[in-house]
Amino acid sequence: MRLRLWSYFLRQALMNIMNNRLVHVIGLGTMFVAILIFGTFLFLLINLNTWVQGWGHSLSMSVYLEDGISEGKRDMIASWIKSLPTAEIDRFITKEGALKELRRVLGAQAGLLEGLSTNPLPASLEVVFEKGEGLRLDPDRIKKELEKMEGVEEVQYSEDWLKRFKGLMSLIRVGGLIIGGLLCMGILFIVTNTIKLTIYSRKEEIEILKLVGATDWFVKTPFLLEGAIQGILSGILALLILYSGYYLLSTEKIHFTSLGVFDFIFLPYEYALLIFLASVALGLVGSLIAVGRFFDI
Amino acid sequence: MNLLAAKKTYSPGSGLPNALSKGSTLRNGLWTNDNLWAKVIQLFHLFKNFGPNVALRDIDLRVLKGEFVFVTGPSGAGKTTLLRLIFGAERPTSGQILINAINLNRISRSSLDLLRRKVGFVFQDFKLLPKKTVFENVALALEVTGERGSFIRKKTHQSLRLVNLAEKEQAYPLSLSGGEQQRVAIARAIVKDPLILLADEPTGNLDPDLTRDIITLFRNIHMKGTTIVVATHSRERFEDSGQRTIVLKRGKIVVEK
Ligand SMILES: Nc1ncnc2c1ncn2[C@@H]1O[C@H](COP(=O)(O)OP(=O)(O)OP(=O)(O)O)[C@@H](O)[C@H]1O
Ligand SMILES: [Mg+2]
Repeated sequence: MRLRLWSYFLRQALMNIMNNRLVHVIGLGTMFVAILIFGTFLFLLINLNTWVQGWGHSLSMSVYLEDGISEGKRDMIASWIKSLPTAEIDRFITKEGALKELRRVLGAQAGLLEGLSTNPLPASLEVVFEKGEGLRLDPDRIKKELEKMEGVEEVQYSEDWLKRFKGLMSLIRVGGLIIGGLLCMGILFIVTNTIKLTIYSRKEEIEILKLVGATDWFVKTPFLLEGAIQGILSGILALLILYSGYYLLSTEKIHFTSLGVFDFIFLPYEYALLIFLASVALGLVGSLIAVGRFFDI
Repeated sequence: MNLLAAKKTYSPGSGLPNALSKGSTLRNGLWTNDNLWAKVIQLFHLFKNFGPNVALRDIDLRVLKGEFVFVTGPSGAGKTTLLRLIFGAERPTSGQILINAINLNRISRSSLDLLRRKVGFVFQDFKLLPKKTVFENVALALEVTGERGSFIRKKTHQSLRLVNLAEKEQAYPLSLSGGEQQRVAIARAIVKDPLILLADEPTGNLDPDLTRDIITLFRNIHMKGTTIVVATHSRERFEDSGQRTIVLKRGKIVVEK
């Protein structure tokens, strides 16, 4: 009996959609675009986050030493660094080593270096911080401490701009919440009005249903299903398009001249599921609002 | 649904209307009384205004279980309004309506829905759905109850045969004559085996032959114990003596016999 009822509701809902095709196509299109915008935003945010985190994990520091530094001073600096938690000296690069490295990087252009009479490159200590933990230290403070030491010429680390980036990220996140909220409201508005239109087109039938003893629930359910279907379709469609976009990006691999190659990841499946469920929920809530208003007789 | 099927005997003090007499049982969500003289419809000091327009004034009426009552009177006398009030489609301005001892002023929306499954109404303007076939229109009254499909089909065929429309099952209402549409409306009202049948001008569009058929049909339904209230201009058409008749004029009961 239940099954029969539900198949009746589903038939009604599909019939409503067919009878109001244009309204539904427009509603669905708008809802799809809204979800796609939000999904794209989430996709970019998650990728940015992954990149930033990746850089955070590989926090490294180059401590450039003055020319002609004594071995004693060098060891002192090294042991100070080793005393820092999670810090480790990856390697010591001598002046010659640095030059060799530069030659390797320049490759065919290495001939440029032939004219040098002296080696201009400093020796350096390459410091790495253990994965993840590195961020707990304040690299800026370490840099200052080191630069105060005798024999240290300069300290560079990969994170100078990461901090600024993190500030930007939280700004983006807040922006995302606002955009998400607005999009949700927009979607609700669209669904509510789409369903309202079908309700109006079936006003007569609703009246008759009520007169022959249909419960409110019986009358309302097809409209709720209609909203849910709209949510399901636009959610699936948006995720599909988003995935196609991701597929294109990841096969083409976007090259940024200064930043190198970026690997994109797709939304983790929990997020994709969340987007899908959210669009279904929005469809349902939107139609609930529509039937709620209508049936307040 | 199980809840509704539950049969339970009324015990005083359970917060039900006083008018509920002993021996009432809860059946299909309704308090019913198998006592032959149970009052199925009770109206107390009923008034209905539409703005300044008084459609019904001070109506007092009791209809017993199994009675066949005519309500007549000129156009605008308030016949339709009276039936709509009994059906719960309209709320009284003042006064009380008790259907099977249920006070319509206090009934919840969902109980009213259940009540309507036991009260058939033949509307003056039929209220058929133009986009549904005759069969679907009649079946609708059972669809809403969530009955089994086979049961719905059986009852719908039966009901349409009773009104002589078996061969028009797949037609659409707008392709039917006024009289045929009227009979579809009657079929829909009786398909659920109502306890009470309210009919607003059920023969208004019928020729004398069909009128006689419909009257015979109503008599047969009445024989099965259904309480019937028929509103009509032209009681003569029913050419029957000894039937209880209420004459309305400008919203008041002027004759009752
Ligand atoms: N919804 C309404 N709004 C305003 N006035 C109404 C409404 N329904 C009925 N009336 C008024 O109430 C009075 C009684 O109307 P009703 O339809 O009950 O008469 P009736 O006896 O059924 O007439 P008829 O024989 O023509 O069907 C009329 O004056 C009518 O104008
Ligand atoms: Mg009337």
